[in-house]
Amino acid sequence: MQTQSLSQPTFASHLNALSALIRKDWKQYWRYPLNAVSSIFQPLIWVAPIYFMGQAFSVNGKAIGFSQYSGTTDFMSFILLGTVLESFINAVFWGMGYALKNDMDSGVMESNWLTPIPRLLILIGHSVTNLVITAITSLGMLLFAGLIFGFNASGDVVKALLPIIPMMLGLYGFGFAFAAVVMLMREANTLVDVSSFLVQIFSGSNFPVNALPRFLLPVALALPLTYGLDAIRANLIGTKTILPLQLELILLVVFMFVMLWIGTATFRSLERRVRTLGTLGQH
Amino acid sequence: MSSELNVRSLAVPGFSADLQALWAVVRREWTIFVRYPSWIIALFIWPVIFPMGYILTARALSGVDGSGLTTFQNRTGLTEYVGYIAVGTMVWMWQNIVLWAVGYSLRNEQMRGTLESNWLSPTWRFAYLLGSSIPQMVSMLMLMLVSGLEYRFLFGVHFSGSLWLTLLVILAAIPSVYGLGFAFASVVITLKEANAFVFLVRGIVMIFCGITYPLAMLPNWMQSVSQWLPQTYVIHAMRTAALSAEGFSAIAFDLKMLALFGLFWLAVGYLLFNIMERRARQTGAIGQY
Repeated sequence: MQTQSLSQPTFASHLNALSALIRKDWKQYWRYPLNAVSSIFQPLIWVAPIYFMGQAFSVNGKAIGFSQYSGTTDFMSFILLGTVLESFINAVFWGMGYALKNDMDSGVMESNWLTPIPRLLILIGHSVTNLVITAITSLGMLLFAGLIFGFNASGDVVKALLPIIPMMLGLYGFGFAFAAVVMLMREANTLVDVSSFLVQIFSGSNFPVNALPRFLLPVALALPLTYGLDAIRANLIGTKTILPLQLELILLVVFMFVMLWIGTATFRSLERRVRTLGTLGQH
Repeated sequence: MSSELNVRSLAVPGFSADLQALWAVVRREWTIFVRYPSWIIALFIWPVIFPMGYILTARALSGVDGSGLTTFQNRTGLTEYVGYIAVGTMVWMWQNIVLWAVGYSLRNEQMRGTLESNWLSPTWRFAYLLGSSIPQMVSMLMLMLVSGLEYRFLFGVHFSGSLWLTLLVILAAIPSVYGLGFAFASVVITLKEANAFVFLVRGIVMIFCGITYPLAMLPNWMQSVSQWLPQTYVIHAMRTAALSAEGFSAIAFDLKMLALFGLFWLAVGYLLFNIMERRARQTGAIGQY
């Protein structure tokens, strides 16, 4: 007997599903308005201790020591730019791995998984709202930060966007693999917090990576995000780059393809394993 | 024949029943805690990576030739920053974890849908909150021990102070830190938006209590605010007790302030819990999220 699925997924139905996911996350996010406001001020709170600490190392607001590593005495613009980019990086981490954990906790993961939608699409859908919200809150954050701490970026914004595209796409690959690990381990908080914090440290969001001790430098150089942050900063605030700018761009594109391939393959393999174990609905 | 019907609950709550309920909550929380093996990763990794971000930024600010460090030393009177930052951030981590774990304990039950049914059982309701704090306290003591060892052997921090005085500071800090957690849990269960409140409270601690810099770097009005926060005294006392050989007299004032703040926050925590409990019964909204 030939069995045929009642569902007839098409490109349009996939787009519909994507749009439903985005709208659901969007609605849920704005349902808690205090959380939304706090996401503007949260990054400011994180950088405030660095601001006061930086003042202790500076003369007339200029961090001379810092410029020996980075090429700029304006350490706050350096850090604020890193903070904004880091928020986008976290949006992909949180948007996918953490959203899956939320689905597990609220008991909808298994039923969502049974729908005839590509599973990677579910992950992408979860990250889109996060990315849009991050863009909005980052603009708000930069506005306030500019008023409180000062922010000066005189570079070419369009040129600075170039490294962002391969960087973010590569990050999606990483996010897929990471989401699969969350599914397998059924725990997200520690995994998300620790890994995003480590990536934040080693990609140099708060300091130039050449200030790292020598034995830690290879870790930073192995991360594609390091080159992304470095290239964007060079374009916007004129910092020194670790490698020539063009080479950094090529590396970002290569990393993008590699990460997307590894991420997709890892997700498929781990997702199959979770289905075999039958632990999809557990948390 | 009397028409009165004697209605009597089958449950007979007493002190030992309350203790049994408390013990049951402690066991449940401990089981949940150890069920997710990632706590081991958190225990060993957080004490290293959290201060590391600040320490490496300070290293970059020092400069290749150390000119920034000279400015720092002239301005603050401190000779090194690693131990200073490590102890400050450790206290912040403690308060942060308490806010998430204790502050979220009731909220988590609300999210899982078990709070309302637990509330209906004839138990001492404060046991739910207290019971979730006890395993948390044990895990925090483990975290502090691991932190101390990692700071010594990975960061090379020289603890020239007294272990006993450091333990005394931890003991004195417990009522303030957990009292704030109790108050927080009650507010969160009513107002629901837990994340925003955690961010606000831990943000205040992060900015005003000098976790990475001396309070003298703050403007005067911010220094005034910091004097009203118990964590300012915890951080100062902990740094003095662990990193210097100044002795008891150097932390006596901090301990006195912590005792006062402890009483205040425990009372506020208990009071808020009772208000929330009464309100929950009146509005019937305890199961909603």
